[in-house]
Amino acid sequence: MKQLTYLTNYNMTRKLCIFFLLICCMTNNACTDRAATDQPKKIAIIVSTLNNPWFVVLAETAAKKAAELGYEAKVFDSQNNTALEADHFENAITSGFDAILFNPTDADGSITNISKAKTADVPVFCMDREVNSTTVATSQILSDSYSGCIAMGKYFVKQLNKKGKYVEILGLVGDNNTWARSKGFHSVVDDFPELKMVAQHSADFDRNKAMEVMESVLQANPDIDGVFCGNDAMAMGAYQALVAAGKSDHVQVFGFDGADDVLQSVKAGKIKATGMQYPKIMAETAALYAQEYFNGKRDFPQKVPVAVELVTSANIKNYLSE
Amino acid sequence: MRMLKYIIAVAALLFVGYHSVYFGKLSEVRKGESGNNTDMEAYTRDFWDNKLPSSIEKAIDINELVALVKVEPEKAFAEHAHALGIGNLQYFMVKGEGQITAISDNNVELLIKGEDGSLKLRIETELVYGNSVRDASGLLNMNAFKNTSEFNEVSAGLNKIIRKEVLPPFKQKAKKGDVVRFTGAVELNSRFLKLDDLEVTPVQLQIVK
Repeated sequence: MKQLTYLTNYNMTRKLCIFFLLICCMTNNACTDRAATDQPKKIAIIVSTLNNPWFVVLAETAAKKAAELGYEAKVFDSQNNTALEADHFENAITSGFDAILFNPTDADGSITNISKAKTADVPVFCMDREVNSTTVATSQILSDSYSGCIAMGKYFVKQLNKKGKYVEILGLVGDNNTWARSKGFHSVVDDFPELKMVAQHSADFDRNKAMEVMESVLQANPDIDGVFCGNDAMAMGAYQALVAAGKSDHVQVFGFDGADDVLQSVKAGKIKATGMQYPKIMAETAALYAQEYFNGKRDFPQKVPVAVELVTSANIKNYLSE
Repeated sequence: MRMLKYIIAVAALLFVGYHSVYFGKLSEVRKGESGNNTDMEAYTRDFWDNKLPSSIEKAIDINELVALVKVEPEKAFAEHAHALGIGNLQYFMVKGEGQITAISDNNVELLIKGEDGSLKLRIETELVYGNSVRDASGLLNMNAFKNTSEFNEVSAGLNKIIRKEVLPPFKQKAKKGDVVRFTGAVELNSRFLKLDDLEVTPVQLQIVK
């Protein structure tokens, strides 16, 4: 009997211990959860490359805006590598980031990464570059490159007086912006049969590669009249090659981006025109969209175009003061 | 018997092989994959014939617009401009009447008289490209289209109609001194306003005298 009482007491003690342990665990969890809600929400900013000043502005503005809105922001550099980009997404999802502001590396290759975030209920807001899907990203805030390059094409036709030989230097072939710009430009220029494109090469949006491409093209085509480049870095590279070849006075160079050095070159008459993009507006809008998402909004427009403005010697003064 | 087995095996192999692959133009396959199977030419024609007139009816007189922009730019943009996304470029559907002062390869210059003096503008007659007309109409939503390229085809189609149907009869007859009545789209930069260099992409052009 005594043994039985002892056993019952032992069982009671064990049950009480388990009960208290459970209470402790629940309390601990509750404390942890409360701590989590006290923590600011975290936003990951995953950018295709930080090796280009334009994308540095995009990333820094997004981080600054996110911080202003009270969130913790961290920037990841994909180095134009979709595999590295995939690692950043895995990292962001497992580390508990609440939203991703994203500048994709590849219009097709980046879709899988966004899908993973979507599966984990992490909203993704694309900035500047789009992906070839309208169902994975929460919203895509994009430069209207196509329309910007239509304006560029019209100006190009007028400047070359509807005739002459020209070269096109393309950006990354896997980026939709490369083709949106090229198609916008050609939608105008191709209607003028006396404007002949003698070469079209990619230089990956890179200044040095564009210089090498231009040097090579000039050997086979020394009599060109114009060069259309898919971004400003390449325009500067092409111009450098033309200066070295002694042809910069005759050949007209056209860029795209609105980079500071090219704006100065437009003012100096070295570069004919550029398309002014607004990376700050895109980055800030993406951060604001993330805030709206946290506040419960879900019906975002899939694509939001941001107007690109043609900058020439006629209106350069407006943009130099910015 | 063995021969029959071989024949059946080869026939089965050929049957399976034939139905496993097919040949077609890569461009057509890609077109199919992108889901771009809307007849955009027919869509644009329908838009031009049946939807755009409602926007033309609401066009603001160019003198009225310029006067309003000078005094209350925010009101002018809020009430009369259209834009698809974010940014400074906005589009207006405008109408007016003016006298031709110069004709060049790319445009016709008009002098428009108003209560507050005269106004000079250019009617684009050669390089009719871009989204001015589509966006000034205020009738289309980009997200209602499958993709951006399809949406851009609307602009390309409208511009083509203008270049092929609106401009040739006008260019054939127009001469310096003629009075022209027009309706068309104007782009204005809300941040860097410039009212002395207006360019109209025409939708309707009529020489009245």
